[in-house]
Amino acid sequence: MRRTLTVAAREFRHTALTKGFIIGAIGVPALMFAVIPLIPKLMRSTPPPLEGRIVVVDRVGRVAESLQAALAEPPERQPWETQDEDVDVRLTVEAAAPDASIDGLRSQVADESLRALLIADRSEEGAEQVELLVPSTGNPRHTRRLEEVGRKALVRARVARQGQDYGQLQELMKSERVRTSRISPQGEQATERTELRALVPMGFMLLLWVTIFTSANYLLTSTIEEKSSRVMEVLLSATSPMELLTGKLLGQAGVSLVMLLMYGGVGLAGLGALTMLDVVRLSDLLWLAAWFPVAYFMVAVIMAGVGSAVNDLRDAQSLVGPALMALMVPMVLWLPIVENPNGALAVIFSFIPPASPFVTVLRLTAVTDPVPAWQGLLALAVAILCTLAMLWAGARIFRVGALMQGKTPTPRELLRWIRVR
Amino acid sequence: MPAERVIDLQDVHKRFGGTHAVRGVSLSLERGGICGFLGPNGAGKSTTIRMIMSIILPDEGRVSVLGTSALDAKDRIGYLPEERGLYRRMRVAEFLRFMARLKGLDRADADRRIGAWLERLELPGVSRRRCMELSKGMQQKVQLVASVVNEPELLILDEPFSGLDPVNARLLTHQIQGLRERGTTILFSTHQMRTAEDLCDRVVLIHRGEKVLDEPLTSILRRFDPRTVLAEPAQDHAVAERAIGRVPGVQSCGWNEAAKSLQVRLAEGMDPQAGLRGILAAAPMRRVELRRTTLDEVFVQLVGGDAAALGQEVGGD
Repeated sequence: MRRTLTVAAREFRHTALTKGFIIGAIGVPALMFAVIPLIPKLMRSTPPPLEGRIVVVDRVGRVAESLQAALAEPPERQPWETQDEDVDVRLTVEAAAPDASIDGLRSQVADESLRALLIADRSEEGAEQVELLVPSTGNPRHTRRLEEVGRKALVRARVARQGQDYGQLQELMKSERVRTSRISPQGEQATERTELRALVPMGFMLLLWVTIFTSANYLLTSTIEEKSSRVMEVLLSATSPMELLTGKLLGQAGVSLVMLLMYGGVGLAGLGALTMLDVVRLSDLLWLAAWFPVAYFMVAVIMAGVGSAVNDLRDAQSLVGPALMALMVPMVLWLPIVENPNGALAVIFSFIPPASPFVTVLRLTAVTDPVPAWQGLLALAVAILCTLAMLWAGARIFRVGALMQGKTPTPRELLRWIRVR
Repeated sequence: MPAERVIDLQDVHKRFGGTHAVRGVSLSLERGGICGFLGPNGAGKSTTIRMIMSIILPDEGRVSVLGTSALDAKDRIGYLPEERGLYRRMRVAEFLRFMARLKGLDRADADRRIGAWLERLELPGVSRRRCMELSKGMQQKVQLVASVVNEPELLILDEPFSGLDPVNARLLTHQIQGLRERGTTILFSTHQMRTAEDLCDRVVLIHRGEKVLDEPLTSILRRFDPRTVLAEPAQDHAVAERAIGRVPGVQSCGWNEAAKSLQVRLAEGMDPQAGLRGILAAAPMRRVELRRTTLDEVFVQLVGGDAAALGQEVGGD
């Protein structure tokens, strides 16, 4: 045990207390957290004014006159856009005769003497339609504003032809936002944000995935380094292969746990700041705590086994590839799993390692459709059995691979190593 | 009372796929002294040593070290593997402290011993340096410190002299002799016959996975009669070479440029004194000398069938 703990302490110290880890695993995420609120401000820009002439060929009636009123309307904005980002429109609207030559006007658009040509017409089926022609060098935000104006002008014209008052109708049709609040079991009220609630399971799964993969990757590279620098045999002269492997796994488990607590703590603090701490249930945290060691040892023993079997990182990629493919499943399918945690897809992947820990955490933390607790426990039991089997096989591969040099073993050779006495 | 066996191998076999690397090796080493473990590359030396260290397990046979399995006795064993290795970015003292902790030493004891050994091996001021900043020779000495820091009862050195310059080789020789005087049992593998001859009390020779020799050095040198004569001709050496080649009982005769002499190999069973007389009678000589048997010659004699491979081994020493 003393040897195992000595190896674990070295592994932890030489990963978690290095500049690379502090900068890469702590500094960069901290910087990202700090920068995220600034991103909208950094991305904000005021477009150039939309100047020049726009010609309207109105074959429907009242579109040309409605265009001026539509231009005066406040523009539609995305939730993240502010008034400062509105396009300043300084267009002169000109109405052309309904039978005016389109070719002539098209060539004016092409040489940019005309900012836009708007043709209001009827289709063969009699439906009203608007065609907008702009120069190929046109600013996309100008084009989007002109499309919006054209759409609104057509509606305004339609209302006017019916003899209705557009302003009055607009007032009647105005849609009010529903303010939804959640009431916690303790009676506290907080604003409901459904999109954020859907992201919580993703957050849990990502937390598990990132923390485990970071330390498992350190395990892979440190094992390869010990092999390539030939220090492995020196270590094996002082420890048994099992003590060495266990020590390395425990050391990196410590690294992973530090990251989990750190990132998880920051995430919870963020939710607390948004008064959304109640979206995380105690049971979610307990499931995470139960799944973390299982997921860690499952992934870490794969990486340690591969690290011991190869001589450089490039060779490792070919052996880690299939496991990585399986581990990408929860990343790719997170949305369907969260939306339907009791669907066949989600249930099946809950029992297929090494994806099972990540998929099950997604399912158990989703609020859309509660997953029966027995399923979570059964998946956990299956995963624990698989992890134990993988630890046994990984330890046997590690024992043989640690001293092997030369070509990368094939999967068949790895199977033979498992059987070697 | 029988002497305590430090290493006890009984009919040990090891196979790697289709290769039978170690074939029925038995070895019994008692406490004290230095045993040379000799053999050409690929003979099975390192595999046997790894089995002694319980780094790999034998397919057949029994291995006992210090009365138990090496796994249980690792704190009492020191091992310098053939493949040298250090954590490149670790500082020397930190690496040695880590190895000492693995061997069960507390920090204060480890630091005291590390300081003493670094001084003994003429490595002052390196403890704060990173391993990758050291020369190859210095790295090798740091590894030696790692193997002896626990003051082992049994020290196994796999090719300890390879890559060392003569000054450091001499320093290492003195340290090995010092350890023997302090009661450490030492098993070291080498293909440097001269070094083995200078250091060993006993020699074990392994060839193609089988033990072909295992006895005290003095007994070996006594048992293997001298068979090589160096003859410096007083005339043209080509003429003398032809004349000596015709002497009955001369197996081979060839010019040795380095020794500026003819090297004459006498046939098995030939009386060396009769051989000397025959050579003197064949051609005028300035000097004729019957060479003392060396381990080199014993080595060649015992594994003579592989002369090419051995030539490379011995020549490289």
